[in-house]
Amino acid sequence: MKKHHISAIVISLITILAGIIASFEFHKLHVSESLYPSERLSSEGMLSDYFSGIKDTNGDTKVYFFDSGKPGATVFLAGGTHPNEPAGYLASVIILENLIPEKGRVIVIPRLNNSAFTCTDPMEAFPQSFHIDTDKGPRKFRFGSRATNPLDQWPDPLVYSHKPSGQQYSGLESRNLNRAYPGSPKGTFTEKVAYAIMQMIEKEEVDISYDLHEAAPEIPIINAIVYHEKSEDIAMYSILELEMEGLQFTPELSPKNFHGLSHREWGDYTKTYPFLMETSSPVQGRLRGKTNEELILNGVSENYKIAKETGALRIAYRDEGEQLEHRVGRHLSGFMAIINSYNEIHIDNTVKISGLPAYQELVENGIGKYLNN
Amino acid sequence: MKKQSFKIFSFIAISAILFSFSPEMGKYEQPILITSAGQSADVKLVKLLAKKQELNAETKLMADLSDLEGIKTLIIVPGFSSKGLGAAGISQQDEMTRVETLVKAANEKNIPIVMMHIGGNARRGGQSDGFCRLIAENCKAMIVVAQGNEDDFFTRISEEKGIPMESVEKISFAAEPMGKLFK
Ligand SMILES: [Zn+2]
Repeated sequence: MKKHHISAIVISLITILAGIIASFEFHKLHVSESLYPSERLSSEGMLSDYFSGIKDTNGDTKVYFFDSGKPGATVFLAGGTHPNEPAGYLASVIILENLIPEKGRVIVIPRLNNSAFTCTDPMEAFPQSFHIDTDKGPRKFRFGSRATNPLDQWPDPLVYSHKPSGQQYSGLESRNLNRAYPGSPKGTFTEKVAYAIMQMIEKEEVDISYDLHEAAPEIPIINAIVYHEKSEDIAMYSILELEMEGLQFTPELSPKNFHGLSHREWGDYTKTYPFLMETSSPVQGRLRGKTNEELILNGVSENYKIAKETGALRIAYRDEGEQLEHRVGRHLSGFMAIINSYNEIHIDNTVKISGLPAYQELVENGIGKYLNN
Repeated sequence: MKKQSFKIFSFIAISAILFSFSPEMGKYEQPILITSAGQSADVKLVKLLAKKQELNAETKLMADLSDLEGIKTLIIVPGFSSKGLGAAGISQQDEMTRVETLVKAANEKNIPIVMMHIGGNARRGGQSDGFCRLIAENCKAMIVVAQGNEDDFFTRISEEKGIPMESVEKISFAAEPMGKLFK
């Protein structure tokens, strides 16, 4: 055998080996991390139970039920609409792993756009995961994409036309679950997932529903509760209650003509009172600088401090940073405050829960203390 | 006393002290029209405060000249919201024009304007300040949640123009001075 044949074989073998290793790494992205529901979990289902069109696809996702056994209102909590917004996902995980239903029931879907957990946004240098320290060692969580994995829905149209409103968005938004509602059983992958979620809300007769998000510090809608007009009283009472706890939330009315979003379509198409909450997450921002796990967890960004000081834009950034505990804690407090306000207005159909850490406890003890692994 | 109740007590005590030393806020008549300048939903919180104080008030995010008919006091809540403008289907410039027209008409009809800025720093700076300045400079009294006045923006206008200003620590605490304006 000639020398160049040998080197060709060696190079080929190395390439094949690298390919095999890479394929394992790639495959790992499609394996979802284990979650450990609280002992009070009453049953588990799949989103495809409400629309079989997403069965055996990456769009199917687990639905967890916490039924107190006592009649009352039904609450639905969604994390992971946008898997690049970790506080929304982690707040739903903490609720899943600690919840005690006392009256009525709670439905939790932590990975609402499951497909978007299997990739990250291109050109953004996001880490694929982050770790939370617990007593039993670090626990790994996926950091995903804002949009459905292109492997599940491709190509993007030049212009995305929302159905049925006809409202136009950039093509990229065709994979954004929060522009896809009410969805369609014959639509795109993302529209089918949206349709299944609508079916679930309808069939389970959800009274209060939450969609947990985060946004870049320079986005105008931040540290906010976005509410459907029919949820106005609940939103306002909640904001006053949260302010008394020392947490400032701004009310933002869901525009009637801004279609495809949960706070609009969930409320228009079903009897539920929808709420979407946003925290300030520097890792999502354009000015973030070095993009790493540290930034996801600590939320400390010198650039945002400087940007805020210039006063050129309104920047929602605390000088000490926007720590994950703080962001998750805001979501948990918002979740509780909205339930309390709902109960005050709907005294004949209330929901009662316990087991969740208060904002201060979460900030003092860290997230790991409230994870079950 | 529990920590939380102590905090609340302190806030009320501080608010009460501030209130007693502030210049005369004046007396106003009902019915009241509450509207926004910048379309933030803060106006709905003010609506809730008015309800708590059992005031005869109507709330209209997009109030125009015809809504001033029979009104004795106009409460304007400044604060910019892109979602709010989207909901109203108007531009920032449209909103500024509406508010300027309304302020001018209220002045002509001798309907006093009371400003309530309750949104804290979320409704300051950037696109909010144009609305804040317009209303602050044209009102007869201001009620301000302190966090939105950390840079003394409203204090300065209040001193320059001799407009009485009441500062409170929390949105809920704005209800009392609001009620007192009409009692
Ligand atoms: Zn989001």
